[in-house]
Amino acid sequence: MSCPYLEYRRSDDTHEFDHDRPYCALAEEFVSPMKADVCNDRDGFTHDEFCEIFQNAAPEADASEDAAREEVVSELGE
Amino acid sequence: MSYEDYLSNRKVILTVAPTGGVHGKDANPNLPEQPEEIAEQVAACEELGASICHLHARDEHGENDATRIQEVNDAVRERCDDIVIQNTTGGQSTYDSRVQGIRTDPNPEMASLDMGPFNRGQHIITEHTRHNIDRLAAEMREKDIKPELECFNNGHLNEVYRLIERDALEEPYYFNLIFGGGTFTPPTPENVMNLVSNLPENSEFNLLAVGPHQLPLTTLSVLLGGHVRVGMEDNLYFRRGEQVESNAQLVERTARIVDLLECELATPEEARERLGI
Repeated sequence: MSCPYLEYRRSDDTHEFDHDRPYCALAEEFVSPMKADVCNDRDGFTHDEFCEIFQNAAPEADASEDAAREEVVSELGE
Repeated sequence: MSYEDYLSNRKVILTVAPTGGVHGKDANPNLPEQPEEIAEQVAACEELGASICHLHARDEHGENDATRIQEVNDAVRERCDDIVIQNTTGGQSTYDSRVQGIRTDPNPEMASLDMGPFNRGQHIITEHTRHNIDRLAAEMREKDIKPELECFNNGHLNEVYRLIERDALEEPYYFNLIFGGGTFTPPTPENVMNLVSNLPENSEFNLLAVGPHQLPLTTLSVLLGGHVRVGMEDNLYFRRGEQVESNAQLVERTARIVDLLECELATPEEARERLGI
Protein backbone atom coordinates (compact mmCIF):
# COMPACT_ATOMS: atom_id res chain seq x y z
CA MET A 1 0.00 0.00 0.00
CA SER A 2 1.49 3.33 -0.98
CA CYS A 3 1.48 6.45 1.17
CA PRO A 4 -1.90 8.26 1.15
CA TYR A 5 -0.05 11.54 0.58
CA LEU A 6 1.70 10.32 -2.59
CA GLU A 7 0.35 11.88 -5.77
CA TYR A 8 1.48 11.75 -9.39
CA ARG A 9 1.38 15.11 -11.09
CA ARG A 10 3.05 17.14 -13.81
CA SER A 11 3.53 20.50 -12.18
CA ASP A 12 3.72 22.58 -9.04
CA ASP A 13 4.47 26.26 -8.48
CA THR A 14 8.02 25.98 -9.83
CA HIS A 15 8.10 22.88 -12.06
CA GLU A 16 6.42 21.84 -15.28
CA PHE A 17 6.98 18.34 -16.72
CA ASP A 18 5.65 16.47 -19.73
CA HIS A 19 5.06 13.35 -17.64
CA ASP A 20 3.69 12.44 -14.20
CA ARG A 21 6.17 12.45 -11.34
CA PRO A 22 5.86 11.42 -7.68
CA TYR A 23 4.78 14.30 -5.42
CA CYS A 24 4.39 14.44 -1.64
CA ALA A 25 1.22 16.31 -0.68
CA LEU A 26 2.47 16.69 2.90
CA ALA A 27 5.85 18.24 2.02
CA GLU A 28 4.28 19.93 -1.03
CA GLU A 29 7.18 18.99 -3.29
CA PHE A 30 8.23 16.43 -5.86
CA VAL A 31 10.08 13.55 -4.27
CA SER A 32 13.44 12.07 -5.23
CA PRO A 33 13.68 8.57 -6.76
CA MET A 34 14.99 7.12 -3.51
CA LYS A 35 12.23 8.73 -1.51
CA ALA A 36 9.67 7.43 -4.01
CA ASP A 37 10.66 3.86 -3.10
CA VAL A 38 9.50 4.63 0.44
CA CYS A 39 6.32 6.44 -0.70
CA ASN A 40 5.43 3.36 -2.77
CA ASP A 41 6.28 0.87 -0.02
CA ARG A 42 8.79 -0.77 -2.38
CA ASP A 43 11.89 -2.88 -1.76
CA GLY A 44 11.04 -3.62 1.86
CA PHE A 45 10.39 0.00 2.77
CA THR A 46 7.09 1.22 4.19
CA HIS A 47 6.09 4.86 4.44
CA ASP A 48 4.88 4.56 8.05
CA GLU A 49 8.15 3.02 9.20
CA PHE A 50 10.70 4.81 6.98
CA CYS A 51 9.30 8.26 6.16
CA GLU A 52 9.96 10.95 8.71
CA ILE A 53 7.61 13.38 6.94
CA PHE A 54 4.71 10.94 7.29
CA GLN A 55 5.70 10.15 10.87
CA ASN A 56 5.86 13.81 11.82
CA ALA A 57 2.44 14.41 10.30
CA ALA A 58 0.89 11.26 11.72
CA PRO A 59 0.27 12.56 15.27
CA GLU A 60 -1.58 15.57 13.84
CA ALA A 61 -3.62 13.29 11.62
CA ASP A 62 -4.37 11.03 14.61
CA ALA A 63 -5.28 14.04 16.77
CA SER A 64 -7.73 15.41 14.24
CA GLU A 65 -9.27 11.94 13.81
CA ASP A 66 -9.62 11.67 17.62
CA ALA A 67 -11.24 15.10 17.81
CA ALA A 68 -13.71 14.18 15.09
CA ARG A 69 -14.48 10.92 16.86
CA GLU A 70 -15.11 12.73 20.16
CA GLU A 71 -17.38 15.16 18.39
CA VAL A 72 -19.43 12.31 16.96
CA VAL A 73 -19.61 10.60 20.36
CA SER A 74 -20.62 13.84 21.96
CA GLU A 75 -23.32 14.47 19.36
CA LEU A 76 -24.60 10.93 19.80
CA GLY A 77 -24.71 11.50 23.57
CA GLU A 78 -27.00 14.48 23.09
CA MET B 1 49.08 5.09 -8.26
CA SER B 2 51.20 7.92 -7.14
CA TYR B 3 52.46 11.37 -8.03
CA GLU B 4 55.21 9.57 -9.98
CA ASP B 5 52.52 7.93 -12.07
CA TYR B 6 51.15 11.37 -12.86
CA LEU B 7 54.61 12.56 -13.89
CA SER B 8 55.11 9.51 -16.08
CA ASN B 9 52.28 10.63 -18.36
CA ARG B 10 50.07 7.65 -17.83
CA LYS B 11 46.61 8.07 -19.27
CA VAL B 12 43.60 9.09 -17.21
CA ILE B 13 40.41 7.04 -17.37
CA LEU B 14 37.36 9.28 -17.32
CA THR B 15 34.07 7.75 -16.19
CA VAL B 16 30.78 9.58 -16.65
CA ALA B 17 27.87 8.85 -14.30
CA PRO B 18 25.01 10.57 -16.12
CA THR B 19 21.95 9.70 -14.03
CA GLY B 20 22.34 7.80 -10.76
CA GLY B 21 19.50 6.86 -8.48
CA VAL B 22 19.38 9.80 -6.12
CA HIS B 23 18.24 12.90 -8.01
CA GLY B 24 15.37 13.58 -10.38
CA LYS B 25 14.46 16.17 -12.98
CA ASP B 26 12.80 18.20 -10.22
CA ALA B 27 16.33 18.87 -8.89
CA ASN B 28 17.80 19.58 -12.34
CA PRO B 29 15.67 19.29 -15.50
CA ASN B 30 18.78 18.46 -17.56
CA LEU B 31 19.33 15.16 -15.75
CA PRO B 32 18.79 12.35 -18.28
CA GLU B 33 16.39 9.66 -17.05
CA GLN B 34 14.97 7.78 -20.03
CA PRO B 35 17.13 5.36 -22.08
CA GLU B 36 17.32 7.57 -25.18
CA GLU B 37 18.16 10.69 -23.14
CA ILE B 38 20.87 8.82 -21.26
CA ALA B 39 22.35 7.35 -24.43
CA GLU B 40 22.39 10.72 -26.16
CA GLN B 41 24.30 12.33 -23.29
CA VAL B 42 26.69 9.39 -22.94
CA ALA B 43 27.49 9.57 -26.66
CA ALA B 44 28.35 13.26 -26.31
CA CYS B 45 30.59 12.43 -23.35
CA GLU B 46 32.34 9.65 -25.26
CA GLU B 47 33.12 12.10 -28.00
CA LEU B 48 34.76 14.39 -25.43
CA GLY B 49 36.91 11.61 -23.98
CA ALA B 50 34.88 9.55 -21.49
CA SER B 51 35.86 5.90 -21.76
CA ILE B 52 33.47 4.37 -19.19
CA CYS B 53 29.81 5.11 -18.44
CA HIS B 54 28.24 4.19 -15.11
CA LEU B 55 24.55 3.46 -15.71
CA HIS B 56 21.31 3.38 -13.70
CA ALA B 57 17.77 2.91 -15.02
CA ARG B 58 14.52 4.75 -14.29
CA ASP B 59 10.85 4.15 -15.03
CA GLU B 60 8.55 6.53 -16.90
CA HIS B 61 8.07 8.63 -13.74
CA GLY B 62 11.81 9.01 -13.15
CA GLU B 63 11.82 6.47 -10.32
CA ASN B 64 14.48 3.79 -9.95
CA ASP B 65 13.72 0.70 -12.02
CA ALA B 66 16.44 -1.93 -12.44
CA THR B 67 14.26 -3.91 -14.87
CA ARG B 68 14.97 -1.21 -17.49
CA ILE B 69 18.78 -1.46 -17.32
CA GLN B 70 18.71 -3.66 -20.44
CA GLU B 71 16.93 -0.87 -22.36
CA VAL B 72 19.51 1.64 -21.19
CA ASN B 73 22.38 -0.66 -22.23
CA ASP B 74 20.80 -1.26 -25.64
CA ALA B 75 20.33 2.46 -26.23
CA VAL B 76 23.93 3.26 -25.23
CA ARG B 77 25.31 0.52 -27.48
CA GLU B 78 23.18 1.84 -30.34
CA ARG B 79 24.37 5.44 -29.91
CA CYS B 80 28.01 5.04 -28.83
CA ASP B 81 31.11 3.78 -30.57
CA ASP B 82 33.08 1.82 -28.02
CA ILE B 83 32.48 3.18 -24.50
CA VAL B 84 32.79 0.64 -21.66
CA ILE B 85 29.45 -0.02 -19.97
CA GLN B 86 29.55 -0.20 -16.19
CA ASN B 87 26.14 -1.03 -14.71
CA THR B 88 25.24 -0.27 -11.14
CA THR B 89 24.57 -2.99 -8.59
CA GLY B 90 24.29 -0.39 -5.85
CA GLY B 91 21.62 1.74 -4.27
CA GLN B 92 18.98 1.04 -1.68
CA SER B 93 16.87 -1.57 -3.47
CA THR B 94 16.86 -5.31 -2.77
CA TYR B 95 19.56 -7.74 -3.87
CA ASP B 96 17.25 -9.25 -6.49
CA SER B 97 16.76 -5.86 -8.02
CA ARG B 98 20.40 -4.76 -7.85
CA VAL B 99 21.73 -7.98 -9.40
CA GLN B 100 19.90 -7.10 -12.64
CA GLY B 101 22.92 -4.91 -13.45
CA ILE B 102 25.01 -8.02 -14.13
CA ARG B 103 22.27 -10.01 -15.85
CA THR B 104 21.91 -8.09 -19.07
CA ASP B 105 22.48 -9.56 -22.52
CA PRO B 106 25.30 -9.16 -23.31
CA ASN B 107 26.84 -8.76 -19.88
CA PRO B 108 28.32 -5.37 -19.09
CA GLU B 109 32.11 -5.22 -19.20
CA MET B 110 32.08 -3.65 -15.73
CA ALA B 111 29.73 -3.24 -12.75
CA SER B 112 29.91 -1.29 -9.55
CA LEU B 113 30.27 -3.27 -6.32
CA ASP B 114 29.39 -1.32 -3.16
CA MET B 115 31.72 -2.45 -0.40
CA GLY B 116 29.30 -1.76 2.43
CA PRO B 117 26.17 0.05 3.53
CA PHE B 118 25.48 3.74 3.86
CA ASN B 119 22.74 5.76 5.53
CA ARG B 120 19.88 7.59 3.84
CA GLY B 121 17.44 9.85 5.65
CA GLN B 122 16.54 8.95 9.21
CA HIS B 123 15.67 5.30 8.75
CA ILE B 124 17.37 3.75 5.73
CA ILE B 125 20.56 1.69 5.62
CA THR B 126 21.41 0.13 2.26
CA GLU B 127 21.44 -3.64 2.14
CA HIS B 128 25.12 -4.23 1.35
CA THR B 129 25.82 -7.11 3.69
CA ARG B 130 28.98 -9.21 3.30
CA HIS B 131 26.78 -12.04 2.09
CA ASN B 132 25.41 -9.88 -0.73
CA ILE B 133 28.83 -8.45 -1.59
CA ASP B 134 30.30 -11.96 -1.84
CA ARG B 135 27.45 -13.15 -4.05
CA LEU B 136 27.81 -10.20 -6.41
CA ALA B 137 31.61 -10.54 -6.54
CA ALA B 138 31.34 -14.26 -7.33
CA GLU B 139 28.85 -13.74 -10.14
CA MET B 140 30.95 -10.94 -11.61
CA ARG B 141 34.06 -13.10 -11.58
CA GLU B 142 32.23 -16.02 -13.14
CA LYS B 143 30.96 -13.77 -15.94
CA ASP B 144 34.25 -11.90 -16.42
CA ILE B 145 32.69 -8.58 -15.36
CA LYS B 146 35.26 -6.18 -13.89
CA PRO B 147 34.07 -4.90 -10.49
CA GLU B 148 34.49 -1.26 -9.67
CA LEU B 149 35.00 -1.42 -5.90
CA GLU B 150 32.99 1.44 -4.41
CA CYS B 151 34.42 2.53 -1.06
CA PHE B 152 32.07 5.00 0.61
CA ASN B 153 34.38 5.36 3.61
CA ASN B 154 37.74 4.10 4.76
CA GLY B 155 36.31 1.07 6.57
CA HIS B 156 35.24 -0.22 3.19
CA LEU B 157 38.91 -0.63 2.29
CA ASN B 158 39.04 -3.37 4.90
CA GLU B 159 36.19 -5.07 3.10
CA VAL B 160 38.17 -5.05 -0.15
CA TYR B 161 41.16 -6.59 1.66
CA ARG B 162 38.75 -9.24 2.92
CA LEU B 163 37.74 -10.09 -0.66
CA ILE B 164 41.38 -10.15 -1.76
CA GLU B 165 42.21 -12.59 1.02
CA ARG B 166 39.36 -14.79 -0.15
CA ASP B 167 40.78 -14.64 -3.68
CA ALA B 168 37.48 -13.18 -4.88
CA LEU B 169 39.04 -10.43 -7.01
CA GLU B 170 41.42 -10.30 -9.94
CA GLU B 171 44.22 -7.76 -10.34
CA PRO B 172 44.39 -4.95 -10.95
CA TYR B 173 41.88 -4.00 -8.25
CA TYR B 174 39.86 -1.03 -9.44
CA PHE B 175 38.73 1.21 -6.60
CA ASN B 176 36.23 4.02 -6.65
CA LEU B 177 36.98 6.26 -3.66
CA ILE B 178 33.91 8.26 -2.66
CA PHE B 179 33.91 11.57 -0.81
CA GLY B 180 30.97 13.57 0.51
CA GLY B 181 28.67 14.01 3.47
CA GLY B 182 26.86 11.49 5.67
CA THR B 183 28.42 8.03 5.67
CA PHE B 184 30.87 8.95 2.92
CA THR B 185 34.49 9.86 3.66
CA PRO B 186 34.67 13.56 4.59
CA PRO B 187 35.79 15.41 1.45
CA THR B 188 39.25 16.76 2.23
CA PRO B 189 42.58 16.48 0.40
CA GLU B 190 44.10 14.90 3.52
CA ASN B 191 41.52 12.10 3.46
CA VAL B 192 42.10 11.50 -0.25
CA MET B 193 45.83 11.11 0.34
CA ASN B 194 45.27 8.89 3.35
CA LEU B 195 42.97 6.52 1.48
CA VAL B 196 45.27 6.36 -1.53
CA SER B 197 48.19 5.50 0.73
CA ASN B 198 46.21 2.54 2.11
CA LEU B 199 45.39 0.91 -1.21
CA PRO B 200 46.89 -2.50 -1.95
CA GLU B 201 49.58 -3.12 -4.55
CA ASN B 202 48.37 -3.65 -8.09
CA SER B 203 45.48 -1.24 -7.71
CA GLU B 204 44.07 1.56 -9.81
CA PHE B 205 41.79 4.12 -8.27
CA ASN B 206 39.03 6.32 -9.50
CA LEU B 207 37.67 9.20 -7.42
CA LEU B 208 34.19 10.63 -7.12
CA ALA B 209 33.25 13.51 -4.87
CA VAL B 210 29.81 14.94 -4.33
CA GLY B 211 28.63 18.44 -5.24
CA PRO B 212 31.18 21.24 -4.91
CA HIS B 213 33.94 18.75 -4.08
CA GLN B 214 33.76 17.12 -7.50
CA LEU B 215 36.00 19.63 -9.27
CA PRO B 216 38.84 20.02 -6.73
CA LEU B 217 39.10 16.43 -5.53
CA THR B 218 38.90 14.82 -8.97
CA THR B 219 41.69 17.18 -10.02
CA LEU B 220 43.70 16.02 -7.02
CA SER B 221 43.07 12.43 -8.11
CA VAL B 222 44.79 13.13 -11.44
CA LEU B 223 47.81 14.55 -9.60
CA LEU B 224 47.98 11.43 -7.44
CA GLY B 225 48.00 9.12 -10.43
CA GLY B 226 44.31 8.26 -10.17
CA HIS B 227 41.34 8.39 -12.47
CA VAL B 228 38.22 10.54 -12.49
CA ARG B 229 34.48 10.13 -12.35
CA VAL B 230 32.22 13.08 -13.05
CA GLY B 231 28.58 13.41 -13.98
CA MET B 232 25.19 14.50 -12.80
CA GLU B 233 24.77 11.48 -10.54
CA ASP B 234 27.27 13.14 -8.23
CA ASN B 235 26.88 16.84 -8.96
CA LEU B 236 23.98 18.91 -10.29
CA TYR B 237 25.82 22.25 -10.34
CA PHE B 238 28.54 23.44 -12.68
CA ARG B 239 29.50 26.15 -10.22
CA ARG B 240 27.83 27.79 -7.24
CA GLY B 241 24.29 28.80 -8.20
CA GLU B 242 24.59 27.53 -11.79
CA GLN B 243 23.00 24.21 -12.66
CA VAL B 244 24.76 21.75 -14.94
CA GLU B 245 23.41 21.94 -18.50
CA SER B 246 24.47 18.44 -19.49
CA ASN B 247 26.88 15.70 -18.49
CA ALA B 248 29.03 16.73 -21.43
CA GLN B 249 29.63 20.08 -19.73
CA LEU B 250 31.25 18.32 -16.77
CA VAL B 251 33.21 15.92 -18.96
CA GLU B 252 34.47 18.77 -21.15
CA ARG B 253 35.76 20.62 -18.08
CA THR B 254 37.61 17.56 -16.83
CA ALA B 255 39.07 16.93 -20.30
CA ARG B 256 40.34 20.50 -20.32
CA ILE B 257 41.91 20.13 -16.85
CA VAL B 258 43.59 16.86 -17.81
CA ASP B 259 44.99 18.57 -20.89
CA LEU B 260 46.25 21.55 -18.84
CA LEU B 261 47.97 19.09 -16.51
CA GLU B 262 49.70 17.67 -19.59
CA CYS B 263 48.04 14.28 -19.36
CA GLU B 264 45.92 12.45 -21.88
CA LEU B 265 42.58 10.74 -21.52
CA ALA B 266 42.49 7.00 -22.13
CA THR B 267 40.40 5.68 -24.99
CA PRO B 268 37.95 2.88 -24.13
CA GLU B 269 40.44 0.37 -25.54
CA GLU B 270 43.26 1.82 -23.42
CA ALA B 271 41.01 1.74 -20.36
CA ARG B 272 40.26 -1.95 -20.97
CA GLU B 273 43.94 -2.71 -21.25
CA ARG B 274 44.79 -0.75 -18.12
CA LEU B 275 42.06 -2.39 -16.02
CA GLY B 276 42.50 -5.90 -17.37
CA ILE B 277 39.07 -6.09 -18.96
